[in-house]
Parts: sequence; C-alpha cells; structure tokens
Amino acid sequence: MTMLQDPEMEDVVIEFCDESDQLCQELEQILDDYEEDLTQTALLENFGQIIDRIMGAAKSLDAELVGRYCELGKIVSYKASQTTDVQLLEIVSATLFDTIDILNSIFKNIRTNKEEKVDGIGLNAFASRLKWLSEKFNNIQRSSVAVEEQTQGQESIDNLLNELGL
Amino acid sequence: MAFDPTQKILIVDDMSTMRKIIKNMLRKMGCNNIHEANDGIPAWELLVQAHEAKDPFQFIMSDWNMPGMTGLDFLIKVRADERFKALPFLMVTAEGEQTNVITAVKAGVSNFVVKPFNIITLQEKIIKIFGK
Repeated sequence: MTMLQDPEMEDVVIEFCDESDQLCQELEQILDDYEEDLTQTALLENFGQIIDRIMGAAKSLDAELVGRYCELGKIVSYKASQTTDVQLLEIVSATLFDTIDILNSIFKNIRTNKEEKVDGIGLNAFASRLKWLSEKFNNIQRSSVAVEEQTQGQESIDNLLNELGL
Repeated sequence: MAFDPTQKILIVDDMSTMRKIIKNMLRKMGCNNIHEANDGIPAWELLVQAHEAKDPFQFIMSDWNMPGMTGLDFLIKVRADERFKALPFLMVTAEGEQTNVITAVKAGVSNFVVKPFNIITLQEKIIKIFGK
C-alpha cells in the first residue's frame, strides 16, 4: 500500500491535493502573464519557486510521478529564465502549460482513485519530453538550479556536513 | 542537552501539507508541544512572543524555500539575536545543494534534512543535534 492509499494519510493527501490545486492556479496565472511577454523571465523563476513547493510535499507523500514532473518543471523554468532564445521559450511556455494540465489531472485521480495516473496520456513519454527540454539548457549553470550536477541526497549531504564539522 | 519530547517545537513551512507530515512524524516520536508558521515572518513573531512569555521554543524545523522570508533569512535572523544563538535549528530542503548547505552551515544551522525523509531519518537528525 502506498502512502497515497494509506487510510491514515487520507486527510494529508486530500490537503495536499487542495493545496496543490491552488498552487497550480497560481502557476497557470504566471504562465498566462508570461505568454504575453516572453521577455519577463523573472516570472519563470517565480514559477520554479512555486512548483518546488509542490515537489517537496509530493516526494514526501511518495507521489513519485508528481514529484518527478515538478522537479523537471522546476529545472526547465529556472534554466529557461536564464535564456533569451524566444523560440525555445515558446516551447517552454507550452510545455509548462501541459505540465500543469497533467498535474491537475493527476491530482483529480489521486482524489478519486488514490493513484497517480491519467487515462489517455503517456505520462512517462511526457516526462521524457520535459527531460529533453531541460537538456536543451545544459549549457546554463546556476548554483541554485544546477540540479543534475550539484543536488545531493541525504547521504551526500551528511558526508558534507561531517566534513564541515556538524 | 538530550532531546525531550515535551520540548516546544516550531515547524516553519509554507506548505501546510508538509507541516502536517512533519507534525505526524513528531507526534509519533511522542512530541505534543508543536507549533506552526507558514514562513519566516510569522515564525519570528512566534519565537519572540514565546521568549517574552517565558515559554520559549526549544527546537526549530524550517523549510528552505518559502515566500516572504526564506529559511536561510530566518536562520540568519535567529542567529543574529543573542537570545536564540544556540537554539537548535534543523533546515528542511527539497534539494540538498552543496552551496546551500555550506551557506547554511556558515549561518549557523544545526543540521540539514532532505525531502523526502522518514521518521527514522528525522529521529537520527534530532539525536545528532541534541546529542551534542
């Protein structure tokens, strides 16, 4: 039984879906504003901060797919905020809109079926598309977003903390 | 100072889901004096009020990424105040980025826990902090 299906966690899971719905509305509004002017890249950074909030809770509830989409959405939005390639930014905007649509559908399904799936959508294929897009920005580095290179799991962090004397 | 489950704990996170998850874990560890704030600004107010009421917090668990006042800014504010210089402060983050960890250690964080984490990891962190 996953955490999403655990009766003891039901309240938390429902609250997670409610809270994430609200945040998805904020994300949609950001993308609406961003679509009007693709030079407002600060909006993408804001998008990354908000989707990061959903990611943390999703991973903590073993909502693996939501966590994965949010993580990729965060990488794409942060890295896209560092580029001026308008053609690529148009793709980013459309893909992030799709990401939010899919997240909304997954939340709906978690509520009703306690499962992370959406009929008629190849979720893994979409994740691959997001990953492909994130790799388009491989030349862009920024300490707070260079996830692949610098993000550490608990064990690596513990090693680093030991080295730092904690 | 060993960890005592009756100690007063402050959870700071902008996601109420996360606050609930952490609260559940702490309750399973026997803690029942748990308070919450949704970012560093109300957390700071709670911290000061509790201190002035002579019922101070003894442990803070704060998220890193929050609107308003981030976990790092909150940590810096806490450590800049003589009253809270030694208050155990556990930073919670979705991604343990090396630079963030180093910055937080320099700012005086007690330890770091990376999401997702389970009750065992949290217990280990608490023992490490209070076992010193």
